[in-house]
Amino acid sequence: MNYDVMVIGGGIAGEEVAINLANLGYKIIMVEKDYSIGGKMIHLSKVFPTLDCAACITTPKVSETARHENITIFTHSEVKNIERISDKEFNAELVQHPRYVTNDCTGCSICEDNCPVVVRDEYQFDMVGRKAVFIPFSIASPRIAAIDIENCILCGLCEKVCPADCIDFTQEEEVSGITVKSVVVATGYNLFDASQIQRFGGGEFKNVVTAMQMERQLVPTRPFNTVLRPKDGKMPDNIAYVLCVGSRDKTVGNPICSQVCCMYSTKQAQLLMGALPMADVTIYYINIRAFGKGFNEFYQQTGDMGVEFIKGKVGRITEKEDGNLIVRYEDIESGKLKEAEHDHVVLSVGILANTDYQSMFNNKAVLESDPFNYVKQTQELCCPPKTSIEGVFVAGTAAGPMDIPDSILSAGAASAETASYLRSVKN
Amino acid sequence: MKTIDIIKEKRVVSDKLKEHRKECARLKKLILNALKEGEKTIPQIAEEIKEPLDMVTYSLMSARKYGDIETGEIDDMDEYFTYKIAKKKK
Repeated sequence: MNYDVMVIGGGIAGEEVAINLANLGYKIIMVEKDYSIGGKMIHLSKVFPTLDCAACITTPKVSETARHENITIFTHSEVKNIERISDKEFNAELVQHPRYVTNDCTGCSICEDNCPVVVRDEYQFDMVGRKAVFIPFSIASPRIAAIDIENCILCGLCEKVCPADCIDFTQEEEVSGITVKSVVVATGYNLFDASQIQRFGGGEFKNVVTAMQMERQLVPTRPFNTVLRPKDGKMPDNIAYVLCVGSRDKTVGNPICSQVCCMYSTKQAQLLMGALPMADVTIYYINIRAFGKGFNEFYQQTGDMGVEFIKGKVGRITEKEDGNLIVRYEDIESGKLKEAEHDHVVLSVGILANTDYQSMFNNKAVLESDPFNYVKQTQELCCPPKTSIEGVFVAGTAAGPMDIPDSILSAGAASAETASYLRSVKN
Repeated sequence: MKTIDIIKEKRVVSDKLKEHRKECARLKKLILNALKEGEKTIPQIAEEIKEPLDMVTYSLMSARKYGDIETGEIDDMDEYFTYKIAKKKK
């Protein structure tokens, strides 16, 4: 298989790069490890500071990527052993994992309705269950079912009820060779695992959730009927946000600012004021970093709406018998230790480098990392998409923490540099 | 021949997974039985079937997702919704 560019990652940055280059006539292969393209953005409720619907922005891009004649997408796939074989070409191995459902699937969900196994739904961040055969989420692309073979009891019900005969348990992993002229790494980021900071009770206290779990509660395809406490289904009326969980924290190995937590928390606070008009929302922060266009006005507006901002460093969260939570914090303004009771706590977790790219290249072509494990930008100021390998470019949060507009800008820059590179190797 | 028969020759389902399926089915059945008498809140169901609140919430919401349970009204204190068996599976 020969293509001009391999885009690794089908999130908002990867899609932007793929569409830009495909529109210039280049043949693109997009490799996405998940069952669907769309990345993390497709799971968000609204974007800050405009409060535009995230899905309304990202689904047209997803659709354009999926339907573009110059883009070939491989989902549930990985790429390995990327190696430069000449001045103009790279070789790589494409590993396609079996989905056990053919592309003829119509997404009717009959298999899913009949499947007897319920496991945690990773697309709802474990707050509700999904079946072993499942359509990842309602706006997935491709919107076809997949079988989680590790959790399948091999009862065969799905194959029996499928009206289109799409279930195929004979599928196996396929490895094929591909040749490309250039590579764009758009592998995105990982979220900090809140359970690493035990004193906050993440993973232990059910009413302590991550901001991504709260984000899911605020979308129309939410796991519950409204915003509820996962422990007992109570509608919360006194919610606390704890900022800088797993970022700006040397003790967990991530000393840098994640750049988005202040604003996504502020955004969620505004959305909660709309969803739960009687609720009190408090944000515990060290510094509010509202640095982008319209961010500071958005932050001030949130305060004007009644959200309480407390400059305080949270030290510990404990749980009461009724599921309420005691937040113990240092009030930075007064220098005193204080305690406050809330019935729901949201940990605004930071973002970390996704280091998957480190195992994609073989020993002959090492893609260097920066001190925080993001892809190293060798000319960060004058050519941000450039990496340590000629012909390999980086886009979006694979290069470092950034918000959605900056990811799209970064992807635009990567597209331009890749097009320029392709012209140079053509001559 | 169904393809399931082919994969059955290659894979073995763990006892842990079999137990997990049984446990999920047991809990769902208990919740649905508790709701046969009428609409109830999650704490009311958990108290009646003597299961942990968080597991009842998770299992009930999963059943709601697949159309077995519907949301009812919120209580007078605006704290807990009631849930009921869905009249018609969506």
